[in-house]
Order: sequence, then structure tokens, then C-alpha cells
Amino acid sequence: MADTIIINPVTRINGFMEIAAEVGNNVITDVRTKGLMFRGFEKMLTGRAPLDAVYFTQRICGICSTAHSMASALALEDALGIVPSEQGRYLRDLLHACEFLQNHLRHLYQYTLPDYVKLPEGYPLFKTDHNDYRLPESVNERMVNDYFESMEYSRNAHKMLAILGGKAPHNHGVFIGGITSPVTADMIIAIKSILFGIEKFITEKMLPDVYEIAAYYSEYYHFGGGYGNLLTYGCFQHYKELGTLYVDPYIYSNEQYSHFNPDLITQSDEYAWFNEANEPDREKPEAYSWIRAPRYNGVPFEGGPLARQWLSGEYRHGISVMDRTIARVLEAKKITQIMNTLLENLIPGVPMQQEYVIPAQANGKGLIDTTRGALGHWLTIEDEKILFYQVITPSAWNLSTQTGEKKGTAEQALMGAPVKDETMPVEIGRIIRSFDPCVSCATHVIIPGKTNRIIPVV
Amino acid sequence: MEKKHAFCPFQELKWKETRQLVTKAMEEIESQKRTKPNLVWLELNGCTGNTISMLDGQDPDFQYLMTQMTNFIYSNSLIASQGDQAMDQLFDIIGDEYILAVEGAVSRKDNGLYHIIGRHEGREITGLEAAMRLGERAAHIISVGDCASYGGVSAARPNPSDCTGISDVVNRKVIKLTGCPCHPDWLMGTIAYLILYGEPPLDEVDRPLMFYGITIHDRCPRRSYYDSGIFATKLGEETCMYMLGCRGPVTQTDCPIRKWNGHVNWPIGDDTPCIGCAQFGFPDAMEPFITYDTMRKE
Repeated sequence: MADTIIINPVTRINGFMEIAAEVGNNVITDVRTKGLMFRGFEKMLTGRAPLDAVYFTQRICGICSTAHSMASALALEDALGIVPSEQGRYLRDLLHACEFLQNHLRHLYQYTLPDYVKLPEGYPLFKTDHNDYRLPESVNERMVNDYFESMEYSRNAHKMLAILGGKAPHNHGVFIGGITSPVTADMIIAIKSILFGIEKFITEKMLPDVYEIAAYYSEYYHFGGGYGNLLTYGCFQHYKELGTLYVDPYIYSNEQYSHFNPDLITQSDEYAWFNEANEPDREKPEAYSWIRAPRYNGVPFEGGPLARQWLSGEYRHGISVMDRTIARVLEAKKITQIMNTLLENLIPGVPMQQEYVIPAQANGKGLIDTTRGALGHWLTIEDEKILFYQVITPSAWNLSTQTGEKKGTAEQALMGAPVKDETMPVEIGRIIRSFDPCVSCATHVIIPGKTNRIIPVV
Repeated sequence: MEKKHAFCPFQELKWKETRQLVTKAMEEIESQKRTKPNLVWLELNGCTGNTISMLDGQDPDFQYLMTQMTNFIYSNSLIASQGDQAMDQLFDIIGDEYILAVEGAVSRKDNGLYHIIGRHEGREITGLEAAMRLGERAAHIISVGDCASYGGVSAARPNPSDCTGISDVVNRKVIKLTGCPCHPDWLMGTIAYLILYGEPPLDEVDRPLMFYGITIHDRCPRRSYYDSGIFATKLGEETCMYMLGCRGPVTQTDCPIRKWNGHVNWPIGDDTPCIGCAQFGFPDAMEPFITYDTMRKE
């Protein structure tokens, strides 16, 4: 006899989510992940000034706002036919890299750690709902210190971002052509010195912490893998002189590697709360989530640090809860190395901006890998206004609803996973958090327009 | 860093205000003149940017806020527990005294079904219901950021989920900390003021005067360019951004002297226009954010 376990809210993620799982003989036999918020950014963007999309779309997400400014700037550059200078690309990618560090630090310490580390008693926020804590007292105590100490470094990652981008979250720096303000020598050295501290924390604290957790919770190497289909749009790549510093667009499926082809992306809303006219419909009988179902060649894919580490050849230990968590920390270290390389190649005082002319009609797409995985913005300009805007986020890939009988990516990762004690289903939270879910990002609507769909809708 | 702006005692006072208030509040809590107030952080329909901005706070930082200044009851982003236990902790506070900090907008469409914050006693709880139940019984309500204050970006035209600020669904005063996001100092300073003196002096739209009293234009370091008629024609220039659509003349915040993220920079310092993110009506009333033809049209 299967029991239903419902977790709502799934806390320590970005946004609002429910997981409903059927559990029989201590194993998950069926599961649905549900995104429970909707705002409709693509509808809001219709009719707005195209350049405003860079700042507007950042408001989709407070923890990964820079990601949206990146994809939006790339889509506009595509539409306007602007090619940024290499210096512009270095600076914009540096700004983006700061967000990776902010995000990965916060995700490991504030969102993941409380699943494995017992936080100090006496604070309501730290009251726990399970008893599966395995770290020896001295190790646990050290990690509690790191929980708090990490906040200085995640905050400092945003400080670096603000030096280049004015403020964070919701920066002003990322724009068409690179960033807005030319870099100066004092900015470069300020960022270098802040980065030095962050890098030291990652090497001396964050990496040992994640491996120590892995040692005490080693069965998490053996489940939560899901389909094992990995995808990246690439990032920190194809520099004219520096080549690729991280990863090019690749696919891994059925143990085969292939080049990524953007034309193979489709999106379904079979089980999402949208009707045939693409309007939000909370009454749709078979639907259970605001998150639609992006597919590549008809198949669900996973994006994020593990996909990038795997596809760049940096880490191929396995695909599981713990591998995902470790890959995120290894990536944080990798990002500091990339930043150092980019910083070494900056030339102070090079202007990047010009007066941009909005075409009467144009299409553009901006695809880039960001903290949580593959992010795409597609837009159509008509009469110098945005006619159509579409966003497919990393968390839409990872948290998608099912298509037919085929589960979404995170759903499949939960299928077959053990739940030792149904009254304390700690495994479910640990599995889902390994994806670093961002539901505020994931819930979107496609606007039916008189224009051609840039992405065919299944 | 104060020295840089010490040319005017009034400005210096403003810049220091958050730290002074927090220090005083802490002295009184430590000497047991006051007890730590309960703080409930209720996230509604938004982007979590105000939680992230709170975590970016410094002097005081989040650790100090949650361990020393307040008894931090709930935040869906940070609470260790999940599901039923987390929801119990949120609603069990009703009956005690608490400050309610709200982030994100109230979605009213389909009676709130466009945003579910969790399940309590077997029932889905909409953001709308949580805002009303927790809002009516709070000692004070602070709306943190634009979405909670008046709908913000979540309510941008055509407002697909019928979003609005919390003050539209509770029948009482809400202290409004606008900004997208809200600066962490504005939040920490307001909580400190509430602990010490109760409600701070507010402007006509219920924002604390100590942070929102003066326009950016009045204290802009590029004001001399404006006065001399020297205007930037594209982003990335060091002169006045007025002709590119800068909303500094109408936006009342202390950004020019406080700056962001450890006081290192701010949008105009980044050679871009202020987009008026702390003014009611943002984003619709502040668009276009960037325009190159203001001069030609006027």
C-alpha cells in the first residue's frame, strides 16, 4: 500500500514548490514536483522598449538576476547586430562570474547545509524536523561556524559585482556591448583582493566541508541521478584570444556526447496550468504545476554545475545527489580561476558603449549557461517595441512537469529513491535541493503572437 | 568612509543613522530594558531579491539580525524545517507580538491561487490568505521592496496575476520600504527604529523620512554637470545622465550618499541613469529606463 507524502513548502529554495510523492516499501514509486507561483513576465514585456528588457527581466529572479541581464543583452545584441568587443565580453563575464560565486556559496551553506548539519538550538529558524545528523560534534561545530562565515564571502561576491555593475541584486552594468562603465585600475585591484579572500575560503573551508559531508552521507552517491541526460549552452567560452575557459555547448545522453543544436528545443504544457490559447488556467484538470516542460530532441535534460563539470571533462565521478552538490563547489573554485584569467587580461579605460538604434523589425536569441543551468531568452521586435519575449530557464529544464508518462528531470531523480522514515522524509529535500531549484524563474507563459514562434511549441 | 561625505553634518548624520540606531537598540536589549521582538519574514509573489539584499547587509549583517536583534521566526528561504513543521511555526506566532516583514506582492487573481505559500492543516494557503491572517495581527507591518509596497514589477502592466501591495488587503498602516530591491540598511534601520521608538516619521506615502526624504538629484555627485548643462549622450560617460532618462530628479532615496553593497557603487556611479526603482509606479511609470532621444524630442 503506497502512502502519499506531501512537502509544501519545500523551503531553502528560491520560490514556492510542493512535492507530492507516493511511497511504498520505503521507496518513492510516483512523484510530482509542482511550481506554485506565477507572474507572467513575457506578457508584461510585450509593448515595452526593447533596451529595457535588460533591467526588466532581472526582476524575474533575485538570486540570479545577473543571469537574466546576460541572456537579455545577448538576445538584443543578436537582434541589433552588435558584436561586443573582447574587453566588453571579459568584463560582462566577470560580472556574471561574481553571481556564480554568490549563488554557489549561499546554496551550499544557507540552503544545503541545514539538511546535513545540526544548526545551533535556541533559534526558531534553526529548529529541525528530522534526526538524521551524522557529523561528529567537533565537525558539526566547525560547519556551523562556516555557515555564518560564508555570509561574508557571498556578500563580498555581490560587492565585486556592484563594483562592476552599480548594485546587486538587479545590476545596472550588464548591457549591450559589454558593461556600461569602463574599468579602472583601482577597480581591478579591488576585485582581485576581494576575490583572493573568496578563493581562500572556497579552498580552505568550502571544499573540505562538502567532501566531509559526502563522507558521512555516502549513500547519496547512489541515488537521485535521474535520466543522466546533461546539457549546457556553454559559458566563459569562445574568446578570440583566450579560447574556451570553461565549457562549450554540449549534450550528453545515452552515454554519448554530441554538439548542442538550439533548433531541437521544444516546450510542452501538457501538465502545466495553461490552456490551448496559452492563457493561465488554474482549473485545467490534468495540470499540476506552473512549470512547463522544455525538451531537447523530445527528451528531458538536466543542466547546472554537474552538467558543466561533466561536459567540460572536469568531473565525471557520477550523477547523483552528492555528485551534484560536490560539482557545485568544484565549479565555484573553477570560477575563481576563470575570473583571475579574465582580470589578468583587462585593459583599463576602454569604453564599450554607443548609441544604439532600435530596428523596426528584428528577432534575437540569447542562450547562455548560468548558475543553475541553461538559460535562453528569445525576442521579436516590431515597430521598435517588444512584440514577443520568451524565457526558458534552467529550473524549467530541471523542474519540468511530465510529458505523456515521461517524468520531468527532478521527478525522475526522485523516482526509486529511498525514504527510510515516512514521518521524516529528509531524503526528498536533499535530492531536490541538489538541483538548486529556482521556482520564481521557472514559471512562465508563452505569448501567442502574430509572429512566428521562435521555438516550436509541442 | 564617512569622511568622504563629511562636508555636511546633516548628510553625515543620515549616513550613520542605521548604525547608530542599531547600536542603541542593542544596548537596550542587552541591558534587558527591551526584549528581542519576534520577526516574521513572509515572502509573497516576487523574486526573493529582498531576502538576498538582506543577506548582503553589513553592520548589522544577517547573523546579527537573527541572533542578537530579533527572534527570527520564519523565512521560507532560510528556515531549516520544511512542509508542515515550517507552516506550523509560521502560523503559531499568531497570538504573540511580532513584526511582520513582507516581501513580494499579493496575487489576487482566482482568489489568490496564482501563489501558494504552503499547506497548513491539510489545506493550500494562498499568499493572499497568509497576508491577511498574519497582517491583521502583527504589531507592525513593514513592506520590504516594491512588490510588497504597491505591487511593483509583479504588478507591471497588464498585471497577469492581479498583484498588489499588502496595504491593499490589510486594513491598517504599513511602513513601506520601496526599492528594487530594498537597501539592507533601510530595512535594518527601520527594524532598529521600531525596537527603540516605535513607528518612525514617515512621508506622505508611508516611507521612513530618514531614508526617503530627499531626491537623488538634490544630492547627486553629478549635479554640477546638470547645472552646467553637460549631459551624457550614451551610457558609460561620467557626466549627467538626465538626457538618457535619469529618474534621479523624482526618486527620493539616499543612494548618492549611502551607495550599495558595502557602499562601493550605485547605478549613477556605474554611468547609467537611475531608473526610479524606489518610486511608486515603477516600472510602468518610469519607462523607458534608457533612451537616447530625450534631447531630440524635447
